[in-house]
Amino acid sequence: MKKLLAIILFTTTVTFAQQKTPPPPGPARPLNLPKITEKKLANGLTVVLAPLPNVPKISSILTFRSATTASDRDAHPGIAQIAAAVANEGTDTRTSKQIKEELRSIGGTLSLGSDADSTTMTASSLSEFSSRLFDLMSDVAQHPSFPQTEVKLAQENTIQQIRAGRADPGFLANERFQKAIFGNHPYGFVVPDEKSISALTPADLKAFVGKYFIPNASHLIVVGDIDVDKTFAEIEKAFAGWKSGTVPPDENPPVPRREKRQIYFVNRPGSIQSAIYIGNASIPRKDKDYFAIRTADTIYGGSFYSRLTRNIRETKGYTYSPFSSSNTRAKTGSFLAGAFVRNEVTGPTLLEIFYELDRMRVLPVTDEELSAAKEYSNGNFSVELASQFGLAGRINTIYTYDLDKNFINDFRPKIEALTTADIQRAAAKYFDTYRAAIVIVGDWDKVKDQVTPFGDVTMYDAEGKVITK
Amino acid sequence: MRRLLVSWLVMCLAVLMLLANVSYAHAKPLNIPVVYYKLPNGLKVAISEDHIAPVVAVAVYYNVGFRLEPKGRTGFAHLFEHMMFQGSANVKKFEHAKFVEANGGSLNGHTDFDYTNYYQTLPSNRVELGLWLESDRMRSLDISEENLKNQQAVVSEEVRVNVLNQPYQFFEWISLWENAFTNWNNSHNGYGDLAEINAATIDDVRSFFKTYYAPNNAVLTVVGDVDVNEVKKMVEKHFANIPSQPMPPRPDLTEPPQTKEKRVSQTDKLAKLPALAVGYHLPPQNSPDFPAMALLVQILQGDDSSRWYQRLVKEKELTLDLTGGLNYFGNEFDYTGPMIMTTRTTYKTGHTADEVIREMDAVVADIASKGVTEKELADAKVRYRSNFYSQLESSFGKAHLLSALALFRDDPQQINTLLTPFENVTAAQIKAAAAKYLVATNRTVIDRVPEAKTDK
Repeated sequence: MKKLLAIILFTTTVTFAQQKTPPPPGPARPLNLPKITEKKLANGLTVVLAPLPNVPKISSILTFRSATTASDRDAHPGIAQIAAAVANEGTDTRTSKQIKEELRSIGGTLSLGSDADSTTMTASSLSEFSSRLFDLMSDVAQHPSFPQTEVKLAQENTIQQIRAGRADPGFLANERFQKAIFGNHPYGFVVPDEKSISALTPADLKAFVGKYFIPNASHLIVVGDIDVDKTFAEIEKAFAGWKSGTVPPDENPPVPRREKRQIYFVNRPGSIQSAIYIGNASIPRKDKDYFAIRTADTIYGGSFYSRLTRNIRETKGYTYSPFSSSNTRAKTGSFLAGAFVRNEVTGPTLLEIFYELDRMRVLPVTDEELSAAKEYSNGNFSVELASQFGLAGRINTIYTYDLDKNFINDFRPKIEALTTADIQRAAAKYFDTYRAAIVIVGDWDKVKDQVTPFGDVTMYDAEGKVITK
Repeated sequence: MRRLLVSWLVMCLAVLMLLANVSYAHAKPLNIPVVYYKLPNGLKVAISEDHIAPVVAVAVYYNVGFRLEPKGRTGFAHLFEHMMFQGSANVKKFEHAKFVEANGGSLNGHTDFDYTNYYQTLPSNRVELGLWLESDRMRSLDISEENLKNQQAVVSEEVRVNVLNQPYQFFEWISLWENAFTNWNNSHNGYGDLAEINAATIDDVRSFFKTYYAPNNAVLTVVGDVDVNEVKKMVEKHFANIPSQPMPPRPDLTEPPQTKEKRVSQTDKLAKLPALAVGYHLPPQNSPDFPAMALLVQILQGDDSSRWYQRLVKEKELTLDLTGGLNYFGNEFDYTGPMIMTTRTTYKTGHTADEVIREMDAVVADIASKGVTEKELADAKVRYRSNFYSQLESSFGKAHLLSALALFRDDPQQINTLLTPFENVTAAQIKAAAAKYLVATNRTVIDRVPEAKTDK
């Protein structure tokens, strides 16, 4: 009775008139593409400015293109990461606390991070305090002092944070995936080992920054509520004294090629899910297939209405958030598909991930799918350009990877030009199921029978050591 | 609701009059245009034009969150949120995502303490698509046994990936709330117990939809590169004939005052390092103490210059990190029930929770006795203003704030004056707030340590 009542009440709400088909779009609105100005300082620093006065703030990225996790890696593994972590903890004239307090008083942020292609300083403040932010950025770029106490604290805390991270299946899966794809290449580096971290001295870090933080291999992007001329004058004043240096040779060798499909199993006894990452190396950022693989990814698993999500989430209920991503860097990139699934469906999930990858390789996508993926890319590109850090980040990739300066204006035409044949060709080449690395973080005893049909297994513990099954 | 609004305004006025002759370096006044009205069926509508980019955010916020889910059905409000993507009279299962993405947009939903939202960002010439999609599911959600089963499986995996298979298991939210609050509506696990998530029936879904997903319990917000008058016509066309529903009385959400400190010890099978979570009950948002508390939270743990961060991470080197804030999931404006300020910190092996608490208390005692400096307060206000602007940067960010102000205060126009009470806080008010609220009897502490390994 109760049930019947509920149904009647429910159906009464659907008797009103409602439109049955989606309304058509209105006329297209102007794109408002950003106006980007590039300038250069006498010391070689490239400065790129783009007004975006959506809020009274500025957002900035300063990229040191030579300071990569490959730099000095043989002598000092991990030095780029620790240098980035400690550079804003003291300069010749400011203590760590003074830097943090100055940031608070300008409503600002300033942090550094490094990867295998560059080190970036990311900073922001209220626009009324822009000159103070530039002074601080310049000071951290030129005069980090690496105080002994700050270096020691960062060493201890980094070691502890990495230990804590080894409890997280996502951290373990990513670390093993990068190593599986890139081996001993700098791109395979995720976090340094404890011995390497402990061995670093303030003198090492100072020497590293002196050699690699140089204006003639760096670029500064500033986006926000700015006046181009006034802002450039502030930047010139703050950064003019930064001395140029000798640009070090590129320390990233070519990337090794994988020859066969292989399972890398990180054993996590007691795990109630398997974290699955599947993929392979792909293309450098500048490669002509960038747009094709990006769009193939959107259709495969990179958007919500993707094939992978419809299959293993909406149809089968194996997982909450299946994903795929195309990550492209200077020398090469990677394509990755994955999901976190309950133990019982580990094998079936591997089967479906491979089925959907192979379907993309063997059969063309439909015209409807391609047209939807194009709209998705173009629409979301507009959203990205409407945020200060979105636009700054996009400009940063142009300068970090030496892309065509018209990248932003050419984005739509390049997406529009793609055909279903382009997508299939890119998928056939880069969704390389035959040589895929399969990384699983889970409970070996619970899932081994589901996993072994997919390839030879090498097993690791959470510390990354090879262990016997 | 109305009472809260009136008190809020009275409070703002009182503070303004009190400080009329004190001047601060204030922000340029905001001038965000907001059109706000209600349809005859009770739907609140807020529209704000912003032509900086050819995009629009379309959001619907329902006045129901974890707190109002039925007893024996923890996690239900969130499970229901998933059901809103399972189709309606004219939109098949999961096609909402297809329509939005194939038209250049992105979409999501979120369940919170006091609201559940659904939103899409679209190219602005597709605004009517967003309105049509939201109206179709508000009017005629399609609920089937098969789709419920599917989403119960999906949500179970969500709980496994974000809670059960993770170190710490979200203890600074789930366990802290369970211990800090005594009223079930506030204290229960909003992500849900797996057994209760999977016990939900199709009748539960229908009844929840009927009760809470009515136009008179929602706000529709549109922000972006659109024409207000055109949007008003579209809203009328798609939403005006959705019938309103009688609203059930809201359960009593009040909490009895806490009189004794609560201390809880937990062990963690997965974590490698010990961690601590602390929650202090906050004054209600309409209390004259609230803006001072918000600034005090900023001064204590808002950034790396904050007092607790400097003391725990830098000076005493006791902890690795410090996170938390005034509202675990959101901000000062997007909730309405009782709230705690949370602090979470991972501390170093070889130290104890008591050591960490002692240092936190010493910092509070210093503020409660000596107060904060004028510069510290002025800087905290700059930081506060800067963070506030960041919330307004995207069309969705603005839509979020407008929706919360419409839902909980019936006045989204307040977006332009929202900072004022916070800019007017004095050092004396900060000192008094520290002494009044940051006392042991008003807090809950959870110490969570790695489970001892049997092989050691």
